[in-house]
Amino acid sequence: MKTQDTVLIALFAALIVVLSLVPPIPLPAIPVPVTLQSLGVMLTGAMLGPVRGGLACSLYLLLAAIGLPVLPGGRGGLGVFFGPTGGFLFGMALGAFVTGWLARSWVRAPGESVRTVLAYGLACIAGGIGAVYLIGVPWLASVTQMGLGKAMMAMLVFIPGDLVKVAVASWVAWRVERVWPILRESP
Amino acid sequence: MIEPLYIKGDRWLHRLPAGYKLAALVIAGIGLFLVQNVWALAAAFALSCVLVWSTGVGAAACWRQVRGLVWVLAAIGVFAVVFQGWLSAAIVLLRIAALVGLALAVTLSTRSSDLIAICERALSPLDRLGWVDAGKVALALALTLRFVPEIWRHYQEIREAQAARGLARHPLALMVPLVVRTLKRAQQVAQAIDARGE
Repeated sequence: MKTQDTVLIALFAALIVVLSLVPPIPLPAIPVPVTLQSLGVMLTGAMLGPVRGGLACSLYLLLAAIGLPVLPGGRGGLGVFFGPTGGFLFGMALGAFVTGWLARSWVRAPGESVRTVLAYGLACIAGGIGAVYLIGVPWLASVTQMGLGKAMMAMLVFIPGDLVKVAVASWVAWRVERVWPILRESP
Repeated sequence: MIEPLYIKGDRWLHRLPAGYKLAALVIAGIGLFLVQNVWALAAAFALSCVLVWSTGVGAAACWRQVRGLVWVLAAIGVFAVVFQGWLSAAIVLLRIAALVGLALAVTLSTRSSDLIAICERALSPLDRLGWVDAGKVALALALTLRFVPEIWRHYQEIREAQAARGLARHPLALMVPLVVRTLKRAQQVAQAIDARGE
């Protein structure tokens, strides 16, 4: 791994921290406030690819685990990982990896606008929503003993906000790639 | 800008080696899921409250940490009471609260640097195998902490520049310049490190 890869991992971890600490944005017609944390996770995966994206997310989680208030609302520490929503944190690292992996294999020619945005969008849905919930929902169900189906129903309120973030992340990934194409060269 | 949650102190929980505290936390995490007795769980919860209190944390700082959890716990509690009855609701809530309290007590009484040292020790077998470069992990951690305030400032600058041009808070217009600035900065930093022969 070259120096540039280490630096990119560190700076994108810092970017996720900043996006997590930005005050939540209320969206029309969506009942829960939306934090930009998962937008940062999707963007990190889409921009850096599976290996560096997954590592950047893990670095962010490490900062939270050692007691820095980097999670939304200034929270942090080991308590969050043991709580009912801890699975969503572990799911984020997997989510960035899956997003990056699918984005790398589906986005072939960055020039075509509609196809590229769509490919990024599908990668963000699979990674940023699918993979995160794949770990988060069973974790929530087992910690609270509420049953898988009901846990899934409870998370449905977050899906519209997540879809908005998918749209933003894929559009931003496509725009940034046009001005900064060197990212595709390494892992 | 990001102050650790650690609280300075010299009580017995602070003096206990960080490794013991982490090991105890992991054992408690497994143990609490095996316990089904509501009174035992209540005792565990009371113990965790005493431990959090013994770190000398202020009420406001403590509330900021548990505020988000209170709503989640309330939702879970209502749900459990309706579908599973009072007793199992109490068991579930006490278990979560006890575990989160214990973990919070460890976080409040342990320096971030001590926890980083434990990470390094845990990574050292992988380092010897050549799978992980512990030096690079330390560099990445230091860089992240160094650049959070700077990226935060970039965020504010872009927001102000757009507000001055009459653009309200717009995520699309905000994110592209923010990501591009981050990438540019990463390139500069990497070149600077390489030039110094790291």
